Amino acid sequence: MTEEKELVERLSRGDTAAFRELVETYKKKMYYIALDMVRDPADAEDISQEVFLKAFRGFKTFKRGAKLSSWLYRIAYNASIDHLRHKSLIPEAAEDAVLDSGRGGFSETRSTADPALTAETRLLRARIEKALTKVSSQERTVFLLRHYNDLMLDEIAETMQISTGSVKSYLFRCIQKLRKELAAPGTPGPLEVSDEGL
Amino acid sequence: MKGCKKCQVLLVEALYGELDPKEKDFFEKHAASCPACAAEFEALTETLRTMDERVRPEPGRDFWDGYWDRLSRRMEEERAIEAISPAPQKNLGRTWGFLPRWAFQAVAALALIVAGIFFGRTIFSPRSVSVEASLPAVGTPPVQAGEGGPVARARNYVDRSKLVLLALVNYDAASGDPYSLDLPLQKQISQQLVNQAGALKSDLKDPGQRRLRELVTDLETILLQIANLEAKNDFEAVDIVKQGVESRGLLLKINLSEMGGDPSAGGRGAAVEKPPAQKIKI
Repeated sequence: MTEEKELVERLSRGDTAAFRELVETYKKKMYYIALDMVRDPADAEDISQEVFLKAFRGFKTFKRGAKLSSWLYRIAYNASIDHLRHKSLIPEAAEDAVLDSGRGGFSETRSTADPALTAETRLLRARIEKALTKVSSQERTVFLLRHYNDLMLDEIAETMQISTGSVKSYLFRCIQKLRKELAAPGTPGPLEVSDEGL
Repeated sequence: MKGCKKCQVLLVEALYGELDPKEKDFFEKHAASCPACAAEFEALTETLRTMDERVRPEPGRDFWDGYWDRLSRRMEEERAIEAISPAPQKNLGRTWGFLPRWAFQAVAALALIVAGIFFGRTIFSPRSVSVEASLPAVGTPPVQAGEGGPVARARNYVDRSKLVLLALVNYDAASGDPYSLDLPLQKQISQQLVNQAGALKSDLKDPGQRRLRELVTDLETILLQIANLEAKNDFEAVDIVKQGVESRGLLLKINLSEMGGDPSAGGRGAAVEKPPAQKIKI
């Protein structure tokens, strides 16, 4: 915390080295939050850079005593939402678009395309992506922020500007739905067709 | 089992290890003694373990190594653009940037409404013009016996009767709008006219006023029918009255008397005893 205070002090003085330190510390977090939200690696990089630019330009709006990470998470979340709106794709629509295109989230990633992976692993990952499209955008966002980006429940509440109780509620409902989806026998995954060729 | 509800409330925090020591102690003790809650916790933990299998694309070391350089370049580019063109729009955006989008939309909508009202009033509103017109209208106070001569009173009587008849004749029951005819008002006026008819007829003694007296008599008959109609919805009777007006040729007789076919009837051409003109503002 003392280190963060020091960093905040340097940033408020316009120290470029401090800004680089901030970027190096948070670049991966910002990138992955954006990636989870918008699902496109190029857009995710663009958004993560936008987060740092906004932070740099508007550092005077940062309240002393607040958590730097929470402030950045909020900027990243808002930038991602803005990006989706600009593309006329609010999260639900994005999910629909993914479903319509027959892809399940990151189905074309290096890991899923790896031929060394077993068919079961590929199928499981496809089912996971598909299951994530079956929950509401709020539930999904809360889950992704907690499960894959390690934000605490109160940090998620601050980021999304909702109560901690709502965060718990969304998260609980999401996990319940995921459990149901993953337990459903024979849920067709987008990679099932290609299994025949293995 | 006692404590299951509280256990459910703590489930999410328990799954992610966010319980405080006291809550954690309670949760563990309850789960140890409640197979249902323990099974639920285990099932959800298993779901989360499965979700751990999800892999996000890793952009690679080169991507991360070059991240700062790309960001710095972008910052430089933005600075250069700002230095070259301090766009007025951008300055405007900064000035008003603190306002939400809905505020601009509300202001625009308000401006349109004000402009609409202004143009509407300027272009379409009728000018206030004084018009002098003799007004033989329904609201015209009846000329009482003793006010003016009998011909003037008769003319006023005929004018008012004509308006009542026109209201009935022009009413179309087929239009299905029973409110297009204000029957109670017409009844009230008819009753007034019927009350005046007796005195008026006795005043029209002159032989030259015979046709006018006959017209008043015809009108009295039909006005009596109107006065005795059902107050609200006797629209079938209205049709009968209309037929009576047509069969007696009452409107034709009124028109003839107005055209001056009978000077004694006080036709327009005769220009005798004109009722006082009323000034109205439109």
